[in-house]
Amino acid sequence: MKITKILKDTLIIAWIKSYPDLRRNPLLLLLLATVGAIPLFFMLVFSGGGLLIHGLIGAMISNVAFIGVLAGIQDIAWDRYIKIREMIVAMPVHPASYALGIALAPLLLSVPSIIFFGALIASSGILTLEMTVWIILALILAWAAMSSIGFMISTYLSKVNMMVLNNLSTLLGFLFVFIPPVFYPETMLGDLSWISVVIPTSNVAGLIRAYMGLMPLSGEVIIVRWLVLIATTIAFVVLTSLKARWRET
Amino acid sequence: MNADAVKSIDLVKVYKSKEKIEALKGVNITVGKGELFTLLGPNGAGKTTFLRIISTQLMPSGGDAEILGYSVLSEPEEVRKHIAVVPQDVATYNNFTPWEYAYYFARLRGMAASEAKQTAERALKAVDMWQLKNRMCQTLSGGEKRRAIIASALSSNVDVLMLDEPTSGLDAVARRGVWSALRDMVKEGKTILLTTHMMEEAEIVSDRLAILNKGAVITNGRPDEIKALTKEKYRVVVEGNFERLSEFGEVAKLGDRNIVYVKTQNEAIELLKTTLKMNLRAEASPVTLEDVFVKLIGGINNNENH
Repeated sequence: MKITKILKDTLIIAWIKSYPDLRRNPLLLLLLATVGAIPLFFMLVFSGGGLLIHGLIGAMISNVAFIGVLAGIQDIAWDRYIKIREMIVAMPVHPASYALGIALAPLLLSVPSIIFFGALIASSGILTLEMTVWIILALILAWAAMSSIGFMISTYLSKVNMMVLNNLSTLLGFLFVFIPPVFYPETMLGDLSWISVVIPTSNVAGLIRAYMGLMPLSGEVIIVRWLVLIATTIAFVVLTSLKARWRET
Repeated sequence: MNADAVKSIDLVKVYKSKEKIEALKGVNITVGKGELFTLLGPNGAGKTTFLRIISTQLMPSGGDAEILGYSVLSEPEEVRKHIAVVPQDVATYNNFTPWEYAYYFARLRGMAASEAKQTAERALKAVDMWQLKNRMCQTLSGGEKRRAIIASALSSNVDVLMLDEPTSGLDAVARRGVWSALRDMVKEGKTILLTTHMMEEAEIVSDRLAILNKGAVITNGRPDEIKALTKEKYRVVVEGNFERLSEFGEVAKLGDRNIVYVKTQNEAIELLKTTLKMNLRAEASPVTLEDVFVKLIGGINNNENH
């Protein structure tokens, strides 16, 4: 199949999965923003604004990560449940288009809130163009890593009840976003700060903080963290592709 | 290409879970171009498995199938260009409109926007959904939702449509709407393969049909050919108790009613006269596809029991 057709189908599937929601349920955008905004609100109240910039970083990451993992699990499971997936399998659509399209849709939905939180960070005056590029790249990788985790779970738990999967995906979203140092600096973990490198969301948060000068990290450590992030994403994609079957056997 | 629209060659499917289940036992079926072919069988007969294999969703355990000459085993990408599938009990995205279904599915076929708009319009009109094209699916009835999905398959503008029990759960009016749309598609030259366990549906819409039971084809042919398979050509439904019924023919007992199968019209008339003399209610008619189906399926069961 031609690469142009694969890319075009990816965009069509992403559009199918996001446009009706954007058009008919715009409140969803607000809901997505609140995933990041609620902890931010409490941080503002209890830290008196001292941790606000860390919270804004967390809010941006939570937007891509939370719904990334949710989409990877819920959208795939829902399509399987309502049998739309069966229709698509029997069409000249590449499985990569389907997976990428499903992963891309929540990213499109989270763009407005990312821009909103990004604008708040920019208003602090500490962002440069170079920093912005690195932050965007890190967010894209966070999205890729979390989507691949979602795909892996939905693939390995394909026989599990839809309701259980929905609950599991929400729980995982919360666990990945609110427990590790995403909204707060990893230095607060002391000796356990290494955990933040292992978890994709906190790894990205650490990278963004380093690029913004909020946390000192050497060039080597930054490279290692990028490599860990890329390796995590690849590992989950490989695990998924080992088990996933576009055509059942 | 002069190949058949659908041709299965010794198709076998074995599911290996806790126990080995033979879902298909060497199924050979040929569907000509421009034909509406029905797979008729009880639940668990293997209809959906067959459809899923020939639509490239499921790998067979043995044998092969061809769609317009392309092998589902070795050329699935070519097969997918020529088919569209409506799975059993498929549901809709509630926030989608029928128009979006038909349009975006056409786009996924590689059509340009203008072509997709044309084919979506044609498909929605074909299933009588044009007036409802901008309604959200959550506000549509079950029959309308089903027709929206069929339109999405139809908008693909493919040669072969495969529909798995497309009218199950629909009321009589909605069902006839779908039948009418299917026959119109055949008139336009499409090949349709559908599965059903509804005899009336199979008898009314099919050009030809195959009866599938326990993974094997029992028989296939035109509905009238299949109905001619039994020696008994008439059925007389007798209401009430009448012990000598079996003297007239084979009897199927349904509570306080009996269906007596007789070979000729004269035998049916003779039975009617006898029952009327006894003040019993009776009604005679030609045998239905359901009668033949039950007889054929029952025959198989009996053989196996022996």
